[in-house]
Amino acid sequence: MSQTGQTGRTSETADWTDPKPARVTFDEWLELFDHVPDELIEHYHYYDNGESWSKYLFPPQTFAIYGARHLRRLKFDNSLAALRMWGLVQNETERLFRARQIGRRVIATMGDLGAVPVIVDSFPGCVAFYPDCIWWTPFVMESRVLFDAAAELGIGDATCFSRAALGAFAKHSYFPDPDLVIASTGASCDDYSGVEQLVQSFAPDVLWVEEPLRQECRIASDECRMGVPRETQAAITFLTREYERVVERMERLAGHAITEEELREGVRRANRVRKLVARLRELTFRDAALAALEMMVVEFGSLHYYSDIGEWTAVLEHLLATAERRAARAERVVDGAALRIIWVTPPADPLLLTYVEDKGARVVGTEYVINQALEVMDESRPPLEAIADSFMAASLIGTSRARAESVIGQARERQAEGVIISGILGGSHCAMEARLISDYVKQEMGLPVLEFDVAPPSNEVGLQLQTRIDAFLEVLRSRR
Amino acid sequence: MALIPRATFEQIRQQRLEEIAAERKQGRKVVGYFCIYAPVEVVQAAGATPVRLMRGGQAAEERGERYLRADACSFCNACMGNFELEPFYKQVDAVVAVNTCDMMRRLPESIERHFGTPVYQLYLPRTSESLPHRVAEFRRQLDELANRLARLTGAALSAERLDLEIAAFNRLRDVLRQVSDTRRVSSPVLSGSTMLDLEATAWLLGPVKAVSLIDEVLRIIAARPRSNAHRPRLMLGGSMLAEDDRWLLKMVEEKADTVTDILCTGTRWFSDDVPAEGAPLDRLARFYYGRPCMHRRPNTEMYKYAQRMAREFRVEGLVYKTLLYCDPYAFEVRRLQEALGIPTLCLDTDYSIENREQVRTRVEAFVETL
Repeated sequence: MSQTGQTGRTSETADWTDPKPARVTFDEWLELFDHVPDELIEHYHYYDNGESWSKYLFPPQTFAIYGARHLRRLKFDNSLAALRMWGLVQNETERLFRARQIGRRVIATMGDLGAVPVIVDSFPGCVAFYPDCIWWTPFVMESRVLFDAAAELGIGDATCFSRAALGAFAKHSYFPDPDLVIASTGASCDDYSGVEQLVQSFAPDVLWVEEPLRQECRIASDECRMGVPRETQAAITFLTREYERVVERMERLAGHAITEEELREGVRRANRVRKLVARLRELTFRDAALAALEMMVVEFGSLHYYSDIGEWTAVLEHLLATAERRAARAERVVDGAALRIIWVTPPADPLLLTYVEDKGARVVGTEYVINQALEVMDESRPPLEAIADSFMAASLIGTSRARAESVIGQARERQAEGVIISGILGGSHCAMEARLISDYVKQEMGLPVLEFDVAPPSNEVGLQLQTRIDAFLEVLRSRR
Repeated sequence: MALIPRATFEQIRQQRLEEIAAERKQGRKVVGYFCIYAPVEVVQAAGATPVRLMRGGQAAEERGERYLRADACSFCNACMGNFELEPFYKQVDAVVAVNTCDMMRRLPESIERHFGTPVYQLYLPRTSESLPHRVAEFRRQLDELANRLARLTGAALSAERLDLEIAAFNRLRDVLRQVSDTRRVSSPVLSGSTMLDLEATAWLLGPVKAVSLIDEVLRIIAARPRSNAHRPRLMLGGSMLAEDDRWLLKMVEEKADTVTDILCTGTRWFSDDVPAEGAPLDRLARFYYGRPCMHRRPNTEMYKYAQRMAREFRVEGLVYKTLLYCDPYAFEVRRLQEALGIPTLCLDTDYSIENREQVRTRVEAFVETL
């Protein structure tokens, strides 16, 4: 098989051919892994490092042994590229501790979901990561440990799963204690802003960054029809100033005066990721070239590249080569005739995505509250301004109407048949947004909408939720 | 005997409602607002009548759940319900909403969608460090708000008029401080529940009439003898206390004195004056940007404020009431308790009335431990 990639870290040296595209179980991957040549296992390393400790191509069982029990219940894309992706993603905790060991600065970027890591990763020897993403950990581990730790610090159950990040800071074992916390807040969710505030007890050095509100018109008027470009430009200017503070603080930490060219290169690297993700979205949503689960992991990778932008880019190139090949051969990993749904979240429980696909639906569009991480930046602009400009696409800094428009646009483009909105009980924006988004979609598209809250970590999809999903898909089928 | 009978406040409210309705018939606009960051001076200077929207209530909360999910905070749900139920809310021509907590930031969209009432959203940076570009952005927001209000009322907003309104509201803040400070003494005459009534009435009446009312209250307090009995001195904190939360204060005051608070519907509205130096909108920008609140990041100033109030009013315990799903306040309970180092009673409830006797048991048990 050809594992092409622009970084040159993949090659055609090993004897491996992807089987016919399919979603396979945990155990089936173990059987497949027996056929993966040792040469390939030796081939992939993180941090562009040839040391044996930086290998990461392992079957899902390896990570299940270390606690990722949820993997046993999922179905995975059976391509080598997908296996490689899972290996790199699941290896992140180890990788961050390695980063510290090899002398890199580890920066916790919190709350903005996609922008600040572009700046941090422009600094030599610095690694950005999102403690926010720890919210998956209780699901993947099927464990309440992090939620319980957060509860001991004052954040109980009726709030966003992102509270797991507070538990992780308290436990000191999910990532190294960061050299700096860059906490973005402002027009963001309360839950995470509250987490950031309490994290300050564990982090001696916190830089607060303001995310401005994207002021939009909410009701029809002449003023609205004219748009508000002046407001948007003001917000970009404001945010650029905030990012200048990030640069100043990073320069002090790294002992390195960054050049504009280094920042431009950082933007180009991030854009490479964003463009790859855009193409993968297209191939997945249009041609079912990847499954929803892998695509979700790909989208969230745009936040911080799983702490290794070089290797993550190579993984994406590998995935794209796989997806392109499948599309060219009209091969699909899920049935192309499956029910077409758009998924709107903050949380898409991996088990739910698996369940929905098992039941004959496929995801043809997403709004995972990370639009800002998917927006390609304008490389002709000064770098900080380009980052700030792309951040104006952020899902959470504007209105529910804007999020709904993104959903409606995707639904139109891909002839979606239904929309699933999965929220979190007590999540501050979920409580206010879900019904509005649902109303807008129903009103303008006439599409059925299923709205539910994702249950706490569990080893199965609850029976009530199964019934609701089954009934929803039945409704969609009946409308064909 | 109550310092001022409840019926008196009700009568004042009713009169004010009739006045406002009559003024509206003459073309005057009514602008509702929610929190301490709303620049009432600008509203008044634009020729509109500012009315603080601070009603809760079980019926309103239940009605609001038609529009918002049940896990939206109780105040947001009640607010939606009150646009249908509460006479003052029905008088509102426009709303000034400030970008504070996430739910209050998102509430305007639902108000506009379901009731067609325009909402002017004022963006206040959540970050509390008053860096020049942040204050400048807030100043720009105030300017934009002034323009919008002027368009609403059709009246130009002059610097001179704004200066006058700043002075008038500073005077109101001053008398509210004076009346609140009467609770510094042992066995104060003024109860927390009457203080809540006074504040709510003051925000309804506007500065001139409110100052007159409070001056009268100050005279009554001065003439009223104090009890010699010592009762525990409590401070109130937590999410906003709506007028409909009076029952809790009355319940607490059966056993203790509520001598101060750290509420946005209490002392934090009047703890400081708009500064005297500078152009009016600059002064307002500096003033409002610097107001402490739990939702600001970092919220260090809020903690300093709580510690100062607890110290100056010789507080022995804190009653901290949060609304269900009010994250900015609920998350801070434990930290605040540690920071103040005083016994704390935490109550996390919505506006339902079914749990009141349970709350009574907890309040009584708490006071017994002091």
